[in-house]
Amino acid sequence: MAYLYPMKKVLFSLVCLLCAQIAFAQKDSLAFDEGNNYIYYRVVDKPTLFADTLYKRGWAFAAAFNPSTKPAKGKAESTLNTSGKFIVYSGVSLMRKEGGEISYTINIQTKDQRYRYRISNFVFKPYQRDRFGNMVPIPGIEVPLEKMNTKYGKKETDNYLDQIASFCINTASKIKQAMDKQPVINKAEPVKKVSTENW
Amino acid sequence: MKKRLLLLSFFVASVFAASAQDTTKADPPLIISGSVDTYYKYDFSKHSNIPTSFASDNNSISIGMIDLALKKKVGKASFVGELSFGPRGQAQSLPTAAGTYDETNNSFHIQNLYVSYDVTDKFNLTGGYMATFMGYEVISPAGNFNYSTSYLFTNGPFQNPGFKATYAFTSKVSLMAGIFNDSWNYYTSVNQVNTFGAQLMLAPVKGWTAYLNVLTGKLSGTEFDLTTSYQITDAFKLGLNAATFKPADVVGTGGFTGVALYPQLAVSKDVTFGLRGEYFKTKTGSYATLGPAPGSSVFATTVTANIKAGPLTVIPEFRLDNNKDVNDGFINKSGAPTKNASQFVLAAVYAF
Repeated sequence: MAYLYPMKKVLFSLVCLLCAQIAFAQKDSLAFDEGNNYIYYRVVDKPTLFADTLYKRGWAFAAAFNPSTKPAKGKAESTLNTSGKFIVYSGVSLMRKEGGEISYTINIQTKDQRYRYRISNFVFKPYQRDRFGNMVPIPGIEVPLEKMNTKYGKKETDNYLDQIASFCINTASKIKQAMDKQPVINKAEPVKKVSTENW
Repeated sequence: MKKRLLLLSFFVASVFAASAQDTTKADPPLIISGSVDTYYKYDFSKHSNIPTSFASDNNSISIGMIDLALKKKVGKASFVGELSFGPRGQAQSLPTAAGTYDETNNSFHIQNLYVSYDVTDKFNLTGGYMATFMGYEVISPAGNFNYSTSYLFTNGPFQNPGFKATYAFTSKVSLMAGIFNDSWNYYTSVNQVNTFGAQLMLAPVKGWTAYLNVLTGKLSGTEFDLTTSYQITDAFKLGLNAATFKPADVVGTGGFTGVALYPQLAVSKDVTFGLRGEYFKTKTGSYATLGPAPGSSVFATTVTANIKAGPLTVIPEFRLDNNKDVNDGFINKSGAPTKNASQFVLAAVYAF
């Protein structure tokens, strides 16, 4: 019976871990804006930097993030926009495959000692299997993220929302890196060498 | 107790591992997709009349096929291998190793088996045994709206083994050209690889795609085909298929011409109604089609509903075919020739 107490603790920890996993679904990172549209929005303080420096860094980020799309100046002062798309997957494990693509826009605005960005305008373009066994877009079908629940089930919608949120979190990390102007660290792995002379 | 704990720990670890995998950008390790289908058909003449490729059995709960496609892509190279088992996936759509459509002999069960390489983002090379690029309808029941098939589908190619190159000029224009085996569908050529095929894809406006296809060879004959569909609104889609075929001189004379229109209206998230109206005309000559006799025609009307419950689609369908001539092949329940044939089908297709 002595081993039961630590086992209970381990069991309790596992249950807590599972609950935490469920509670912190990544889709919770997304919010709704004033127009009831999904948005990933952050305001970041950069006390030592001026607006034009941040703008240049934002522009460099946008150009590198979506090389196929040239960033565009926004209507408001010190704003820029870029857009792109990424694949989202349906199913899990062995049944995982391309479920569709999400198009989005990123808007970055800067001012002295502060910048903000929003990732929004999410539109889902579903895929279907073609005659050759490839997953391809269904022509003419585009579903704004806000209307996903009217076209798809809750489980499917939540799965895509999680992936979109995950994309936003990763993108946010890259924006932060670009605005902080942290060099990309390519950590050189030491090459393992053995001496074959002394044996 | 320790074993249970170990099992639980393993389960939790698996959940986290699966979750982590789902949020990565990496390509899935191996894409598995496919379908299973089953149906019941009742022909009002009490025997099968309409020469549809599938849904052949009258007054029987019958199976279509289990279709299993595997795809893997690493970098620029990919393969697709698609296997099918069951009447629809064997003798009704695939030849045996000996080149006959015979349920009693062995089949390779292959619908697609090809390798592909993206030379650039816009230029792709593909070679192997591939589903045909011609026509509106396909063998996979998950790829069709109607469960029974059109005359144009039934009389066109199913597969074209060969080598093709596709160049995408833009997302709205692409051109495919290839060289294919001398005879459609078979796993091997009769003795030459001399059928030329090409496809021009145009997407003039959002939701509208059009494919202009040609397939021509000394043994396979020549077919021109237009396949197009336009998602006019979120709920309404209109498709069209038109084709004309002339057999090779060594095969016969005549051929066929036809056109099919496919309006479809989604009335809710899960229910869509569709109509297929097809006019199919056989040319005078010696070439026999799966349809009316040479020099005649048929008009076929099919009313279909697709009722979705997740990956399952239930397909009730009513079809009425009207031949030009009383001797074009339909037989009524008394055994006498008739111009008309009608059938009801209830099918279920599960796609994964």
